[in-house]
Amino acid sequence: MSERDTIGELLLRRGVSRRALLKYTTYLATVMALPPLASRVMADALAKARRQSVIWLSFQECTGCTESLTRSFSPTIEDIIFDLISLDYHEALQAVSGTAAEEARLAAMKENQGKYVVVVDGSVSTRDGGVYSTSGGKTNLEVLKETAEHALALISVGTCAAFGGIPHANPNPTGALPVSDIITDKPVINISGCPPIAEAMAGTIAYLITFGKLPDLDHLNRPKAFFGDSIHDRCYRRPFYDKGLFAKSFDDEGARKGWCLYEVGCKGPVTYNACATLKWNGGVSFPIQSGHGCLGCSEPNFWDKGGFYRPLSSHAGNPAAIIGGAVAVGAAAGVASALLARRRKQQAAKESQS
Amino acid sequence: MEPARTEPEISPGALARSVLREIAERLAELARTGEPAAIDLRSLPLKASDRSELEDCLGRGDVTATLNVAGTSELWETRYSGVWWVRHLGAGDRIAAERIEISIVPEILVTHSADIANAAERMRADLAGTEAATHV
Repeated sequence: MSERDTIGELLLRRGVSRRALLKYTTYLATVMALPPLASRVMADALAKARRQSVIWLSFQECTGCTESLTRSFSPTIEDIIFDLISLDYHEALQAVSGTAAEEARLAAMKENQGKYVVVVDGSVSTRDGGVYSTSGGKTNLEVLKETAEHALALISVGTCAAFGGIPHANPNPTGALPVSDIITDKPVINISGCPPIAEAMAGTIAYLITFGKLPDLDHLNRPKAFFGDSIHDRCYRRPFYDKGLFAKSFDDEGARKGWCLYEVGCKGPVTYNACATLKWNGGVSFPIQSGHGCLGCSEPNFWDKGGFYRPLSSHAGNPAAIIGGAVAVGAAAGVASALLARRRKQQAAKESQS
Repeated sequence: MEPARTEPEISPGALARSVLREIAERLAELARTGEPAAIDLRSLPLKASDRSELEDCLGRGDVTATLNVAGTSELWETRYSGVWWVRHLGAGDRIAAERIEISIVPEILVTHSADIANAAERMRADLAGTEAATHV
């Protein structure tokens, strides 16, 4: 099989009909909220495109993002993404290791200079020159800079690569930073989540290949198709919030009746992701449907926000609560709110560790 | 203890009824102008009750088809001619994409010209092979 083949030629050679491609683009149109009739145009565009060279770099991460993308083992609609890309380097998935693996990365970079896409999962250690995370004698920081230099674009998958994630959590011993803080001269798309939804990763890559451009992004550089609505806005429990019906604990009558989980710490109102519509495990469920509040894992600093079971209204970072507290004590607002904020943050950190 | 309910009982079937109204409008448009349309069901926050109400209301018509490509797909014409239910299954036979197509025939059923050209070539080669074998 030649890398110069178009995707259409590749499928024909494998005896896969173009219906497979159309089925995939129907699926993509669904997950990316594109007009349903765009699927035919997308299928024709993909058939004429060449496979996209992808170099996948894994840094300070847990491999959950790769697990999310490759969770399926039978040839199904979701797997067609692997026919659209040429995954030229991925430490966890490639057969080769050591020097041969590094040579594969360098060869792909040379052959596809200016055209390859770099996918990064994991945050990047920067303290003390980045020595806290190395591979093959090179720091993650060096590998990232070297690989990004001639890339078309970068995709940060997972909250660690997008916003620093758990390695970046207080006290951040490795000086972990998100990719976008290091690579500032290339487009960086963030697909956050811990892990991100597989469709969001695959859909964004397929969009890049199909349309040859970046999808519409929000203020945190996340594709709007997946991060345009808050969990709360699309939650099936939203009518209960509007009616003021809340579960007060995880085993009370409200919880059993499926009422809103806001008061037991749900971060849905401030979390942007597609869990409520695309759901997880092939559309089976999502945390709120399983009876647990949203943790806010696709937002920056979600780990340091004062506890997963604390309602947003009493949250350490909630300005209204802090100002309200300052007025109540009747002190000079600036000083008092700063002190109160610090105290709340310390208390929240203490409670979230206990 | 009664098991936890995961779906609230608020306005049962309200969303299904609004989808039906949209289908009716698009079907009238198809009849008038021939313009096809599609409604993506997975993008709507449909509850299980909405989905089954929608399926019950639309019923089943003359045609049912199964596709075996990149997993399975099921599609059928509803009892309203020109209104097709198209369901693509993904990993674990879960629904990956599901939509209502309002068209003469669902686009996934139409054979692509590239596949036809490829099939013609294969058939010619197969026949040539058979004839060569016969002459030996």
